[in-house]
Amino acid sequence: MKKTFAMLLAAVMMLGLLAGCGTEDKPAPDANGDQEVQEPAASELNVGVFYYNFSDPYITTVRTAMDAKLKEAGITPNNQDAQTNQATQLDQINTAIVNGADLLIVNIVETSSPDAAKQVVEAAKAADIPVIFFNREVSDEVINSYDKCAFVGTDAPEAGHMQGEMIGDFLLENYEATDLNGDGTISYVMFKGQEGNNEAEYRTQYAVEDANKKLTEAGKPELKFYDENNSSKYLVDTNGSWSAQAATDYMTTILAGYTEANGNMVELVIANNDGMAEGAIAALQQAGYNTGDEGVTSIPVYGVDAMDSALQKIEKGQMTGTVKQDGPAMAATIMALTNNVAEGADIMANTTSFNVKDGVNKIMVPYAKMS
Amino acid sequence: MSKESKTLEKEAQAPAKVKQPWTAKRVLDKILDNALLILMAIAVVLIAIKNPNFIKARSIINILSQTCAYLPVALGVGGCIVLTGTDLSAGRIVGLSACVSASLLQAVDAASKMWPNITPPPVLLVLLLAMVIGAAIGAFNGFFVAKFKLHPFIVTLGTQLIIYTVLLLYVKGGNNGGMAISTLDASYSNFITGSFLKIAKTPIPNYVWISLILTAVMWFIWNKTTFGKNMFALGANEEAARVSGVNVFATTIMVFALAGAMYSVTGFIEGARVGSNTANTGFNYELDGIAACVIGGVSFVGGIGKIRGVIIGVLMLRLIFVGLNMVGINQDLFYLIKGGIILFACALDMRKYLVKK
Repeated sequence: MKKTFAMLLAAVMMLGLLAGCGTEDKPAPDANGDQEVQEPAASELNVGVFYYNFSDPYITTVRTAMDAKLKEAGITPNNQDAQTNQATQLDQINTAIVNGADLLIVNIVETSSPDAAKQVVEAAKAADIPVIFFNREVSDEVINSYDKCAFVGTDAPEAGHMQGEMIGDFLLENYEATDLNGDGTISYVMFKGQEGNNEAEYRTQYAVEDANKKLTEAGKPELKFYDENNSSKYLVDTNGSWSAQAATDYMTTILAGYTEANGNMVELVIANNDGMAEGAIAALQQAGYNTGDEGVTSIPVYGVDAMDSALQKIEKGQMTGTVKQDGPAMAATIMALTNNVAEGADIMANTTSFNVKDGVNKIMVPYAKMS
Repeated sequence: MSKESKTLEKEAQAPAKVKQPWTAKRVLDKILDNALLILMAIAVVLIAIKNPNFIKARSIINILSQTCAYLPVALGVGGCIVLTGTDLSAGRIVGLSACVSASLLQAVDAASKMWPNITPPPVLLVLLLAMVIGAAIGAFNGFFVAKFKLHPFIVTLGTQLIIYTVLLLYVKGGNNGGMAISTLDASYSNFITGSFLKIAKTPIPNYVWISLILTAVMWFIWNKTTFGKNMFALGANEEAARVSGVNVFATTIMVFALAGAMYSVTGFIEGARVGSNTANTGFNYELDGIAACVIGGVSFVGGIGKIRGVIIGVLMLRLIFVGLNMVGINQDLFYLIKGGIILFACALDMRKYLVKK
């Protein structure tokens, strides 16, 4: 008797938990603001959407936009979370195929080798299902191996290039103010989100290279990593999760040894994403920098993604720049391809208005500099 | 298992009280017993020689404050380990309480403010709320452990996943749409990262004091209260504890609830310390907490552990993190060193009990 009661209690508690979640799940506002009504023809479509990680804030903004768009079209997507594990994702995709999926929308986990994407394409080909890869880039060769396959995303190196150009331009305009110790070179720190991730690699490389290019063209010395002993010239989130917390811990540790008083203060912070940039800013603020108030020294901090909170920090003078990676635009592009599939048209039909790459089914959503 | 080890421990401790001559073996034993502290001292000296900044006031305060940020998790999970258990839900509770605290205490002018109709409530009220949420989840864990005699590893393996769902849904809630929760109200950031005391011109962030107060409270609970004594009795030998009148059910639930409240404090601190909260916040914190306890001699055989040990454990992990950074050692080695220390510490710990066999 007592036991049954306990079981019941437990069940009720679980229900309570779930009910609590339900109420939070309000429909998200359409980030794009456009309310064009889609034809309900797509509603029968069984769409599987495979995200590499639900907890990535940028991917979650894409997911929110996608869910809203699919719902508009009367499609209930089957969203899956791979939790950064490629094996999990392959299992999820194979299950969805068995379950009669009509379209696979895949945010691939493994970007450092084409094998995983190849496997997905082969499985889809065998079942004659179209695949749309998005966000995390897949090689041209893989996309070309199947005619019902496309990629929607960003040109990974572009974000790094833009970040680097922004930094270079900013430094040339504010060189003396940025060079706190007046030694003629700018010392920087680079926060890398993850090892072996294409976008992290490109951003880490090009942000510095392009900034250096601008600097040397103007006759200035190249950027100098703050710690000469560190040969990799970056600090990486060892969990591989691009987290703000990793950047905070690193930055407080750096600020303990590198200060203006010692004449070796870090004069520039470059981060692979806005989360890490914000984490670094939290540490800087604790040390009395980047508060955005009059007369307080601001160390230039750069991120990527242009999350609302980062844009607000830029407005307040706590952060210097970021590169906009347009989530809602990416979702809208994927939706256009989804409608093609629903209407039985070619997957790349009516895409002339988009930025399509030559010779391969790749649509590039442009980045934009924000500062 | 736990009964046997408890008697073993008694046997091991008994001869120490009798006066013994300083033989070579005894000196060696003494060294081995304190090997971790000795190693820590050697490491500090070596790092300081390589990079003198390491022992400057700023650096020491940095290590201390990082230690204090991670300490509450370890203090909480320590209690679970004393009960021969563990708690895998710690990290997610940290994440949930960080996100809840940050969302309630977002500045009024924050872009895409999660709950636009909420003006930031008093900070202490939110801290209390976070602790209540943590304690409730902890009690839920404890209930399953106590009622169904499930191993805490299994229970918390389950709840950890359940909390993750709540967390994922929460960050999508309101106007947030899954973005990082940041732009916090000044009252919150000042309460955590502000500072009212400076040492050697370096401000000590306020959360250090929160953490120290908690440590004192936990020391009191562990050592001076009936509840604490019951916890150790229960961890050492459940049957014996039951026979001598310990309420096993209530004690277990309370240990887990207390642990949950502790995780929430770290969550509350992290919310403002890091200032950018996502569903990823708190990820893997439980592993560091458990590792710290184990390094500090809180034994998985149950019924053994000291607050002092937990502090040393957390400090040790932070020393490795900061130290390796300061000497610019390849970060890949970080795991090797951490793993080595965990193994070494546990082997040393067990040696005390095996020596008499």
